Amino acid sequence: MASPPARTSSRDSVDALLTACAGGDPASFTPVYDALAPVAYGASIGVLRDPDHAAEVTQEVMVEVWQTAARFDAARGSARTWVATLARRRAVDRVRSEQARRDRDQRDTDLRNGESARDVVVEDVERSLDGSAVRRCIEGLTPTQREAVVVAYYGGLTYREVAEQLGAALPTVKSRIRDGLIRLRDCLGVARNV
Amino acid sequence: MSDRDDREAAQGAQGDVRDLLPGYALHALDDLERRSVERLLESDADARRALDEYREVVAAFAVDTEPPAELRASVLDRVRNTPQLSATSAPSASSGTTASSGMTAPSSSAVAAPPAGGPTTGVGGDVVDLTARRRTRRWGVALTAVAAAAAIAVPTTIAVQVTAERDRLQEQSEIVSEMLVDPDASILRGAVAGGGQASVLVADDDMFFRADDLPEPAPGRAYQLWVVAEDGSVSSAGVLSVRDGETASLVQGVEGIGMAVTVEPEAGSEQPTTDPVVVLGA
Repeated sequence: MASPPARTSSRDSVDALLTACAGGDPASFTPVYDALAPVAYGASIGVLRDPDHAAEVTQEVMVEVWQTAARFDAARGSARTWVATLARRRAVDRVRSEQARRDRDQRDTDLRNGESARDVVVEDVERSLDGSAVRRCIEGLTPTQREAVVVAYYGGLTYREVAEQLGAALPTVKSRIRDGLIRLRDCLGVARNV
Repeated sequence: MSDRDDREAAQGAQGDVRDLLPGYALHALDDLERRSVERLLESDADARRALDEYREVVAAFAVDTEPPAELRASVLDRVRNTPQLSATSAPSASSGTTASSGMTAPSSSAVAAPPAGGPTTGVGGDVVDLTARRRTRRWGVALTAVAAAAAIAVPTTIAVQVTAERDRLQEQSEIVSEMLVDPDASILRGAVAGGGQASVLVADDDMFFRADDLPEPAPGRAYQLWVVAEDGSVSSAGVLSVRDGETASLVQGVEGIGMAVTVEPEAGSEQPTTDPVVVLGA
């Protein structure tokens, strides 16, 4: 009711639009773009924080959505979740390749980039969370769970990198993220009772 | 480190691989871990269903944001020139789950509210004269504990947030200190139906609410604080964030004669929809 995004009410119709454009005319993709580009852009900019990078990733993702529309399976989740997953994956990959490039360049440049560009800027994170469906639920996490989940999500970090950044043991980080996502799942009411 | 994970994965402890599903949904695994999860997903419908749920959680972080307008024409142009792929070779394809339950709002009627103590529970809690130093100390200790909890050392940039939180709490604690020395201030206390104690410090137009030993609200539910006005009307003072059964909230600039708490859907309600679990009124 209140926790899923407002878009939820139109979920079925968006799912149907996406399903319909598989094997369809390119023109049938226009309403799909209008319905789903905002989540692709939102997921991208959450991780990348740079509008130009986010726009590029959104473009790649939306073309991928068109290309692979036949693989969308509404039984496994909403179109919104599918697109958010694709977008975040691409955004994180871009963060990682940018970071790898920067690490290579770093040896030749000054130390201005000494602080990792992937450190999570907390003010941005707090702002990013506003308006997200998890905003309310994130308060229900323990501070350590919240920190691990937030750093992993917004930093686009691997478990190992989260552990390094937080100075915690790897198994600890794994269980914090797991327990944190489970709490969020329960709070958001996404658990599927079979 | 990766060697050890390698061995863990190789030992095939399925529980361990299952624990990687949240990381898979977050795209936070290294290649080795990712492959071990993908092997699990191929053979295990429960794992696929769990992954779908985690993906929905991760997707809930994304805030829909309008992309730059010029992107639209550019994408649609590319789409016209890009052939579609077939449905085959979708990674970890179909599972027998139904998505319909995914977004179902928690049915509020099925959620057990704390035992109804009746609307009169806690009404007219003790009024404590603040000249009693013992009470003053107790409030002071409570605030210190809150501040200490927020000040747990956290490395890196998360510390920025903690600092902001500490500043906020410090400011709050100064306001409450001023309230405490207000000769007209009073503290109202009462038991919470369902468990726990609540109290509110009232001074002028400021109210500082505190409660402890609160039971965890049912999933999808939260405690919401209300300011009760002289004419009996109530206005929301927000959903209480409860940690370890404790919560505190400073409400400033309100003309109220008391406070009440109800159990509401976790996003809060505009007006109370259940009987209060505690009413603290003068």
